[in-house]
Amino acid sequence: MNDINMATMTSNSTRISRRVFLGTMMAGAGLIGLPISLRAAPAAAGPAIAFDGDALIRARDTLSRSDGAGGWIELSAPEAGGIISLATHSARPARIVAGLTGGGVALSEDGGHRWEARSQGLPGAPVTAVTVAAAEPDTIYAAIHGDGLWKSEDAGRSWALAMDRPWLADAERDLTALASVELATGMGGIWIYAGTELGLTRVPDCFCRWQDVQPGDAMDALASGKPAPSEAPLPQGETINGLVSAASLPTRLYAALPSGIWESQDAGVVWSQKSNTRALAVAVHPTNADHVVAITGDGVVESRDGGANWTALARA
Amino acid sequence: MRRGVILLSAVAVSAVAAIAASAQLQDDDVSTQDVTFRGQPVTSEQIALGQEVYAQNCASCHGTSLEGQPNWKRRLENGRMPAPPHDESGHTWHHSDQDLFDMTKLGVGGVVEGYESDMPAFGKILSDEEIAAVLAFIKSTWPERQRDVQARITAKDGDGS
Repeated sequence: MNDINMATMTSNSTRISRRVFLGTMMAGAGLIGLPISLRAAPAAAGPAIAFDGDALIRARDTLSRSDGAGGWIELSAPEAGGIISLATHSARPARIVAGLTGGGVALSEDGGHRWEARSQGLPGAPVTAVTVAAAEPDTIYAAIHGDGLWKSEDAGRSWALAMDRPWLADAERDLTALASVELATGMGGIWIYAGTELGLTRVPDCFCRWQDVQPGDAMDALASGKPAPSEAPLPQGETINGLVSAASLPTRLYAALPSGIWESQDAGVVWSQKSNTRALAVAVHPTNADHVVAITGDGVVESRDGGANWTALARA
Repeated sequence: MRRGVILLSAVAVSAVAAIAASAQLQDDDVSTQDVTFRGQPVTSEQIALGQEVYAQNCASCHGTSLEGQPNWKRRLENGRMPAPPHDESGHTWHHSDQDLFDMTKLGVGGVVEGYESDMPAFGKILSDEEIAAVLAFIKSTWPERQRDVQARITAKDGDGS
């Protein structure tokens, strides 16, 4: 969870009554279901970052876009609230999905210039993470603070609960990051990886159960007597602030943690640390798995070699 | 203790479940030729046995019409998930025949290490034939699309179907 979210939300470890959210949902849905004005909004909270083709969308204090060496231009943020999370899909260029601090999802079809609400049916609580299904670009997942994982199959026009939050260390845990990972689960679909305040988890997109990341598909967890393959998980107990899977190479994952930026080349079984600067958000280029950008304590940084070397983002 | 409660409640509802499940099967009118289990065609006798076993052992949690427990996507206070539906609204049809068999015989924790579930392992309660029969019965209630998808998942898992 990013800094601002931490300041505006109660502790993730506190179980928030679902009934409280249901009570507020009706009122919230009524408000956020209204068309969002296209004028400039108060602020984009962030930090969040995403590629839109070669361009970058960044939410940190303000919402901005960079299409190359020309620097950043400030965009009008959704009026419904600040942006906590961003997601894009290469098959839907210029479509930006934003999870909002005030609850609900906003969607732009023009690269982030104009926004409309896509929140009908969603509980009125902060959308801490969003991702677009890798194999179905009109399917969007949204993680709702204090509630669970919601799914839309029509680009946010309608939503349904997909799964409750994961149960980790004797409590439900909010999702702080989401990534659709286009790798077969063995159950007819692909994986959704998620970050929590305690680390990484994942669920098949049939939503049978949250489970740890293990080698092989879900049912290979049975192991069948074979020697256990080597594993190097992310540091235990660290909040995952950002998580992405490279569309061009789905086994390549990047995670933004307080301890830095981490990379996995095998879909999350073995991780290696690629920087030690506090990382708040991360994005990977849609066609180049080695091209990664991150919002860190030192600003926006970029790597063109899979995280081996980092520089301040040239276009900044 | 938990297993005792489950079994006791299963007996209590078995008569109602059997009637309801029987009515559903008649309504669905699925040909046994459309249903296989672990690569073998399922007979009407297997489905009838499975229907009876389901009513006695499964319906108390998974529902007399395979509808699952109410609000099954929301976690229970103990952190476990309610019993999901076995009809097309659930995720049972996303698992291969062998995985369904293993989960029923060993319990979910026997397949996914460390996973805690209220569902007991039925390996000491039901025979392999009874487990296969109840799964054949469940499969016989699915619409064609779900059966086709599950058949592909089963084929990829190495069972054929």
